[in-house]
Amino acid sequence: MKTRREFIKLAAAGSGALVLGFRIGLGDETGEAGPFAPNAWVRIEPDGSIVIKVGKTEMGQGVRTALPMILAEELNADFQKVKLEQASPGLLFRSLGTGGSTSMMGMWYPMRHAGAAARTMLVAAAAERWSVPPESCRSAGSVVHHPASGRQVAYGDLVADAARQPVPQEPTLKKPAEYTLLGSSIRRMDAPDMVTGQAVYGLDFRLDGMKYAVIARPPVLDSEVESFDDAATKKIPGVLKVAQVTRGVAVIADNTWAALKGRAALKVQWTDSDAAGFNSLDHMTALEKATEAPGVTIRKDGTGRAGMAGAAKRMEAVYHYPFLAHAAIEPVNSTVLVEKGKCEIWSPTQTPNTLQFVASQVLGIPAFEVKVHVLLVGGGFGRRLGFDFDYEAVEVAKEMEGTPVHLVWTREDDMRHGHFQAASAHRMLAGLDASGNLAAFEHRKASTPHNIYRAPTEEQKNDPAAVIGWAWGVYDSPYAFKSAEMTYRAVDAPMPIGPWRAVFSPSSVFARECFIDEVAVATGRDPVELRLDLLGRNDESVPETFVANGDLIERPRMRQVLETLKKNGDLDRKLPKGHALGIAGNAYHTGTYVAYAVEVSLPFNVHKVSCVVDCGLVINPHGVRQQVEGGLIWALSNMKGQTTFKGGRAVQSNYSNFPITAFGETPPEIETFIVDGGADRPNGLGEPTVCPMIPAVANGLSRLTGSRIRSLPV
Amino acid sequence: MSRITLNVNGKSHTLDIAGDMPLLWVLRDILGLTGTKYGCGEGSCGACTVLADGEPVQSCRITVAEAAGNSFTTIEGLAASGLTRCQKAWLEEDVSQCGYCQPGMILESHALLRRKPKPTDQDIDQALAGHLCRCGTYPRIRKAIQIAAGAGSKS
Ligand code: FES
Ligand code: FES
Repeated sequence: MKTRREFIKLAAAGSGALVLGFRIGLGDETGEAGPFAPNAWVRIEPDGSIVIKVGKTEMGQGVRTALPMILAEELNADFQKVKLEQASPGLLFRSLGTGGSTSMMGMWYPMRHAGAAARTMLVAAAAERWSVPPESCRSAGSVVHHPASGRQVAYGDLVADAARQPVPQEPTLKKPAEYTLLGSSIRRMDAPDMVTGQAVYGLDFRLDGMKYAVIARPPVLDSEVESFDDAATKKIPGVLKVAQVTRGVAVIADNTWAALKGRAALKVQWTDSDAAGFNSLDHMTALEKATEAPGVTIRKDGTGRAGMAGAAKRMEAVYHYPFLAHAAIEPVNSTVLVEKGKCEIWSPTQTPNTLQFVASQVLGIPAFEVKVHVLLVGGGFGRRLGFDFDYEAVEVAKEMEGTPVHLVWTREDDMRHGHFQAASAHRMLAGLDASGNLAAFEHRKASTPHNIYRAPTEEQKNDPAAVIGWAWGVYDSPYAFKSAEMTYRAVDAPMPIGPWRAVFSPSSVFARECFIDEVAVATGRDPVELRLDLLGRNDESVPETFVANGDLIERPRMRQVLETLKKNGDLDRKLPKGHALGIAGNAYHTGTYVAYAVEVSLPFNVHKVSCVVDCGLVINPHGVRQQVEGGLIWALSNMKGQTTFKGGRAVQSNYSNFPITAFGETPPEIETFIVDGGADRPNGLGEPTVCPMIPAVANGLSRLTGSRIRSLPV
Repeated sequence: MSRITLNVNGKSHTLDIAGDMPLLWVLRDILGLTGTKYGCGEGSCGACTVLADGEPVQSCRITVAEAAGNSFTTIEGLAASGLTRCQKAWLEEDVSQCGYCQPGMILESHALLRRKPKPTDQDIDQALAGHLCRCGTYPRIRKAIQIAAGAGSKS
């Protein structure tokens, strides 16, 4: 699909505001013009306020601060005057999904272009007013200046004239050296509302006359409602209605508590399910077995696994990684009003456009009759790329036509009935030559691909082009081997599997970075030096970059991150008795490079974390630090909790049995070094900081115990 | 249904309500004070923390019948006369990521500073032990509390 962008002026109707946006024309490869859709990112009000549309979901990663910064930079706007509006899907905004740490990359051009075009028109309007050439004018802080005459005019006073200017198709973008806002630390736009309780998350959304619903869902995967008895439920004061929906039985009431009591009183008979025999322990055995032979090849260096034959010494290890729930503190929820052939949804969603489609399918109405409002998210982490809860909410609201219904998932619902991070097994093999050099390498991963949108076909499971997309952290390993082969084997499992923070990467990077550490120990190499060698530091024959599955991996950037860790991380310091350092790094496939040195002691204490990150052009250094801290603490949770299944049921249901990092487990010392790897655009950071932290801690602990940590939780 | 009177943020409310309803849902669904968050409903996350006569309590663990006759402060009421030093420190240190857990964290920290104007890091870890943040803002919360402690005891 080709995207043609044409900049247009939208109607400045009524408000007297200057409204700018893109027309994005979606054409196909034949060059045939698709429908044109206007699309507005910025509006300047006569009072000088700059209203910027945010096209990404805020879930703690800071997009509602960083994205407006990009536009405001090009606009030369006074950032104090910036106000935010959350974009809603429709003709103007056709793909608002947030995930995969892609927000900064994806919005980098559109935000700059929109800001630059607006600035160009404002400057042109002022120049016209003063009858001077636009080139002789400057703009800064929401004001256009004419240095030669000393005249100046505020953006707010120019809106009417600016709206009459021609819209530049290719406005001149600022050079990085001209940036005044980007690269400075800006605090969160939403922070004041958050600390005063005014911020409205999905679960806080209220409408007049709104009712509350909960759903009784089958305890065993894939089971369905056979029959139910709601006599006791209907006696609970406040319960309004009981209705069967696809996934279970909904109880609708005046408030959450009445709905919960109604659900507790409900007697549901569930059908038998084939999944009733599913146990995660057996599944892990099946995964491990699936790695006994190589899977579908997704990367081959040199002669591939044939290179193993000539090895003087071989090493082999199997790593295990469990199923995991997201456990965001705000459980999923959605509020829906169905009325007169229309539908309105207020959801903490990461995938708003999909909701239009989902509701149109459930209700049999056109998608354009579905209005979606994106609310603040109390922790996303991929969970809200699923739309199961919105689907349910639409079904329930359909039962209550004309009345808005707020569907609440309890913590237990959220932990047991959402989608999960897939469990996986990784068989790692290394072949050492006679002088102990790592000459051959194999990484065989087995796990369950995503199935929440559409489960892959048998054909896809054997198609390298499909499989590679499920093996982040395997095919994109930055290391160069004389011979290596990476393979993947899909193994089915009955629970919903879908996005989770860093998606397919954490388990792969855990296995790879721990195994590299095993090799370092076995060959008496320093773990940083070994990695630098594998990154081709002294080997001209190793290409500096390579492209895998369309992703560019740049070895010099990975080396620089490790070199910086060596230089700034004080790795040779004298450690207290019983302490050890663990090292790991990763090149996230989207172009972010991270390395950690972690000082640990037994049984599971992290004393100090040094992190080096190259996430491309830095928009907000403060935001980078927050994502490092958040990512590494998330990774520590990874080493504590898991979801297990017994008899087809998810066992863990709440924080008491699915522990996450607690306050007292926070590393007392965290230092973050941001390095410039020469990239001219920003890269994502919400996910990349998670992956290498897990192996760094495991490597440190393993050095203390002498026995390797090869499965999580520890 | 029982008739229950409680005071929230300085305002008295008389409700005809199921006595077993947790205070959390009374605040959120009946009184519309959604700054008090639901996270676990079992006392393990701290998101629902409110102050009962100045002492932090988990509102998911108290029924409205038990709450009757008491006075509560929620996050909405904390800033009644301007931002408190904790809220200011939270903004200065820019603690929040998704922000969802922060009302509970702030109320707990507010109570801590009343009890212990100069808390050690250990005091902080202890006081906040029952609070979870999935976004990992703990290091900034530690710093913010120290900043607030340094700001003196004016609020
Ligand atoms: S909701 Fe009360 S402690 Fe979690
Ligand atoms: S800031 Fe997101 S849960 Fe704490």
